[in-house]
Amino acid sequence: MRVIFSLLLFVSLMFGSDATIEVIKKVDALPTIAVEDASESYDDTFKLKFFKSIIADLNVISLFNVDRFHRTISFDASSVAVENKDMNYVLRYKMSEGDDGHLSIEMKLLQENETVFTKNYKVNRSNIYMFISHAIAYDINEFMGESSVEWMKRKVIFSRIVGPKKSEIVISDYSLSYQHVILKGGFNIFPKWANKAQNAFYYTSLDGKKPTLKHVNIKNVTVKKVISSDGMMICSDVSSDGKTLLLTMAKNGQPDIYTYNIDSKTYKRETTYGGIDVNAQFMSNNKIIFISSRLGYPNVFSKRLDTHEIEQMVYYGKSNSACSSNGEYIVYKARESSNAFEKNTFNLHLISMKTDFIRRLTATGINEFPRFSKDGDAILFIKNYKNQSSIGIIRLKHNKNYLFPLAYGKVQSMDW
Amino acid sequence: MKSIVLSSVVVALLVFSGCSGKEPAVDTKKSEVEKSAAQEVAAVETETVAAEDSMVDSDSNANANTGSGMSMSDVESELSSIYFGFDKFDINSDMEDKISKAAELGKTTAVNYNVKLEGNCDEWGSDEYNFALGLKRANAVKKALVAEGIDGSRISMVSYGESNPTCSDKTQACYAQNRRVDFKILP
Repeated sequence: MRVIFSLLLFVSLMFGSDATIEVIKKVDALPTIAVEDASESYDDTFKLKFFKSIIADLNVISLFNVDRFHRTISFDASSVAVENKDMNYVLRYKMSEGDDGHLSIEMKLLQENETVFTKNYKVNRSNIYMFISHAIAYDINEFMGESSVEWMKRKVIFSRIVGPKKSEIVISDYSLSYQHVILKGGFNIFPKWANKAQNAFYYTSLDGKKPTLKHVNIKNVTVKKVISSDGMMICSDVSSDGKTLLLTMAKNGQPDIYTYNIDSKTYKRETTYGGIDVNAQFMSNNKIIFISSRLGYPNVFSKRLDTHEIEQMVYYGKSNSACSSNGEYIVYKARESSNAFEKNTFNLHLISMKTDFIRRLTATGINEFPRFSKDGDAILFIKNYKNQSSIGIIRLKHNKNYLFPLAYGKVQSMDW
Repeated sequence: MKSIVLSSVVVALLVFSGCSGKEPAVDTKKSEVEKSAAQEVAAVETETVAAEDSMVDSDSNANANTGSGMSMSDVESELSSIYFGFDKFDINSDMEDKISKAAELGKTTAVNYNVKLEGNCDEWGSDEYNFALGLKRANAVKKALVAEGIDGSRISMVSYGESNPTCSDKTQACYAQNRRVDFKILP
């Protein structure tokens, strides 16, 4: 037992900055925050809806112990509500409805009855209120001087199955509470953002004779064909400069990984194994990781793009069929029970190239579609547990998972 | 000094997690719950809605793209799906008769038609690997048909992963029905 203690201690001191093992460090009590609603416009239902959204976002930034009571007060009241007098911080906001239907919000952050931060927000329609809620949380995080939560402002693109061979592609905010169907009708799956600006995306169309990769420019709404392949065609990853794609294609019925150059429109086969190679992701140092069945079950492997050197990356889990990478980190989905049919548990795990340490990120249910944020600060995933589906967000540095219930539909694939 | 603080923290954490019977030193001050009329919203972590019902089970459009004439759909109705084991893409011996029958049709009545093999999977896995598995199943059927004398150029393949189930119950029998390759006749 003692050995384990000292080993843990040693590891935690040696690799204090490694996200796989930073769990232990944060034990300080978080400052408390309460939220006060000073809105005059809108009905109680909408007021509560916005309140819930802001509470959720404040929780996700993981800096506060957030009080959940909805208290109302005048925006200009000189002191905080009496119930909130012991709070370290109080966030007060006032929603107003404009004549043209726009929603504007005044916000101030109070500390010991003093205003320490203030900002105003405005959106054209009240049904996109959640973007203001995310922006407020983002700004408070900035104000507190914490590392950026830029991912909170990023959009999620996902496909959902709405019937046999029928799907929709949807763009949403990170909590999936705002959903805009961008592609409807037909069988279109595996959407993937085409660039950092998120103004274009790729997807696979299965409506034609062959699976075809298509590119959609959202700004001018143009769709163009990129490449097609018999059997299978998926864009698994896009390089950070947007110039190179990692594709899974199946020429002659054999799923393998290819790199595809956008400018020259040429592709190169990167794997040649006779089983299954899929789900390639760019890593640092000219490497890719991918899922392969070369051990007889799906597992995570890496390959250098300039050589043929292939290495097994994961030695834990019975069936590791999906992964996402960010720099030195890999998050993968592992089947943890051996029951082929019922009540399987699929958990997400995080490994680091530096330490070989494995950190389990989820505990129950079926957890899938892990997707790193671009800055590596957070992981988005889908959780299915007891007939409920939720979108989850894992704050690696804070060792916390947050879940938002999903309105409807089974997610087929998603990108962030 | 820092290491001492950290180590005591680590030890404290381990002790607390080890002996759940002991009450940890959490502050027991009761939060202000009762008196105010303020409404408390639910904790963020909870999941409440469970609408997985958007899967439409209708088979009505299964033959929608046959279009040109009866004989193609007649041929298609003669061909029965090939079923596979869990996480497998090799053809079981009890499926060989079905493949021989399909090959025989392909050489006689359906000699002027092409065929599309559609690989499908159960819901265990909803990622690229599952699509690849569906494709390997289709490819296994293609190889078997070619071995029986069908020209490979008449056969195309596609995988639908888990997104084209014929059965959506959560039973073993149902999962088994979804691990299949369907024949679709093309002109």
